[in-house]
Amino acid sequence: MSEHNELQNLILKLVGAAGVSGAESGASKVAAEELSRFMNVNTDTLGNVVGTVGETGPVILLDAHIDQIGMIVTGIDDEGFIKVDKCGGMDIRVLAAQEVIVWSKKPLKGVVTSIPPHLSNSDDAKTAKKITDLSIDVGMTAEKAKITIRPGDRVTLSGNAQCLMGDKICSPALDDRVGVAAILRSLELLEGRKIGCKLVVQFSVQEETGGSGAKTGSYNSEAEECITVDVSFASAPGIPEEKCGDLGKGPMLGVAPILDESMFKTMEKIAIAENIPYQVEVMGARTGTNADSIQTTKAGIKTALLSIPLRNMHTPTEIISLADVDNTARLIAAYILNREGKNE
Amino acid sequence: MNNTLKDLCSLYGGSGREDNVRGYIIEQIKDFARYYIDPLGNIIAFKKGANTPENKVMLAAHMDEVGFIVNYITEKGFLKFTSVGGVDPAVICGKPVFVGSNRIAGAVGMKPVHLLKSDEKDKLPGIDEMYIDIGANDADEAKQLISLGDRVYFESGFYKFGDGFIKARALDDRAGCAVLIDLIKSEPSYDLWFAFTVQEEIGLRGAKTAAYSIAPDYAIVVEATTAADISGVTGEKRVCELGKGAVVSYMDNGTVYNMDLYNRAFELAQKNNIKVQPKTQVAGGNDAGAIHTSRGGVKTLSISLPCRYLHSPSCVIKEEDLKDVRQLTQLTAESFAND
Repeated sequence: MSEHNELQNLILKLVGAAGVSGAESGASKVAAEELSRFMNVNTDTLGNVVGTVGETGPVILLDAHIDQIGMIVTGIDDEGFIKVDKCGGMDIRVLAAQEVIVWSKKPLKGVVTSIPPHLSNSDDAKTAKKITDLSIDVGMTAEKAKITIRPGDRVTLSGNAQCLMGDKICSPALDDRVGVAAILRSLELLEGRKIGCKLVVQFSVQEETGGSGAKTGSYNSEAEECITVDVSFASAPGIPEEKCGDLGKGPMLGVAPILDESMFKTMEKIAIAENIPYQVEVMGARTGTNADSIQTTKAGIKTALLSIPLRNMHTPTEIISLADVDNTARLIAAYILNREGKNE
Repeated sequence: MNNTLKDLCSLYGGSGREDNVRGYIIEQIKDFARYYIDPLGNIIAFKKGANTPENKVMLAAHMDEVGFIVNYITEKGFLKFTSVGGVDPAVICGKPVFVGSNRIAGAVGMKPVHLLKSDEKDKLPGIDEMYIDIGANDADEAKQLISLGDRVYFESGFYKFGDGFIKARALDDRAGCAVLIDLIKSEPSYDLWFAFTVQEEIGLRGAKTAAYSIAPDYAIVVEATTAADISGVTGEKRVCELGKGAVVSYMDNGTVYNMDLYNRAFELAQKNNIKVQPKTQVAGGNDAGAIHTSRGGVKTLSISLPCRYLHSPSCVIKEEDLKDVRQLTQLTAESFAND
């Protein structure tokens, strides 16, 4: 693990900040600070954190989303319980008795309500409650809750990041802060190297609610090529083998009709030449990531997808391997150094 | 009492593995009472009061908590487990846990929601379908840190939130233990017997032997009981409510309580301005089930702290209720002693 200490610290810093879709400022601030070590950084109209470096050569866009799934306050009931809806693809099966933070003016601790086994019937044990039937207990009277909390406030799943065996990390929001970390790490690897292209980095907002950030960010970028860095399914019990990669076996290189084949081939070649472990992930049409909207931006942007394998996606206990994040960074850096030449 | 409760909730002690909790309680009471450990692991303590009463009164709280036990390690290094005590699948999915005395960190793994068919998205897996992921690459690696039979607990801290609320793991029944410790440290008017029991959550096993050994005339079980005073639940289905004081039961799934004792608890509470409420559902059960049938029978009362989300990683109580439980326990104990 020691070899990835710095990377681990960076990831912990990124997951420690909140950024539910549409309210990414906490996480964006941390990411912008880190990015400004390498380039000038701006925030665009929708809130994307954007940085550029380099003057000449082809424009390459590096994209990872800064937002995370969560919930959004829809109301406060007469007893002070907070009603919520999903903000992004929240897995409702994990919500009962889950600790959360309500991001009102000040962060407030709370617990998602649940019915204990002493009172539940056999159906309760088999079926997760609908999100509209759940509420959040913030330990306040209705009067106080209504002054303190407003509809529209975001809610995150809380949980301290934990180190598991080997180089594995378990935390909420690793989707897609590890993508952000991989890009930042690749910039570190490129430091002091001469690069023959103009790099645009965007940490895009609102991926989990449909990809609005990537759409507008890539419009502004003038990019010819894009590498989207996101997470994908890592193998675990009950998951069909063909739908996942393995934790610790390197970035998953996407193959899909919407993804650019030449970029894939170049990346694969570089991975082999540089001895970077990788896995191939094949998707039937679109990818369910920012790559989908970036590809059709303006007259079109050639797009590649690198996915970091992750278990328990959209739960408070997402799990990744640090080596995978590092190898993703190595592959991005090697691709950019190689890019001075042409793709075949 | 509140610091004691915080300390107690930071310890782990599943049924049959109460060692940490027992060690802590002994440290707290050893200068204030005589005690011994019985063959099952219960702490039996005697506190000398100002007077020796007519009746022998026993106060009981259980040291154990619900949790899980590792029963298999898969080829790929995932841990299969079963519950120790009643835990709903709904509160297990996706939660962080720790395993064994070395506190190995892990998580209860889930098939990602993206890969579920639309009619599967709200289906909860059974505990037998779940697994714990500690990040091991295979069984051999997992076995370096984990043994079959290792206990598993929710990773969940103790904190205060809102207006006087506390969230923690294992408030059931470390709250009862905290009340009993506080009483042992006080100077009661009458001699009292205390039992810190083991294995309540798997069938009231410690209470059975403790009650046999103490052979009390009266018993008071001090517990945390299920409160369902949450959004959308009304009337008697709320069972009891936070902030409304000590909960006294007339009946649960293990015990039909002595009506004289039940009534007296309410009378004493009213006379002394202590908040008290009845438990409005016949649900759950506690050590009273074993104690009231001990030997030739024991007149038994339950006084409980209302607790939301019982048996989950995030139990919630209201601090002020703890005081009511503490006061009512002392008053009823003195009243029964002198009956």
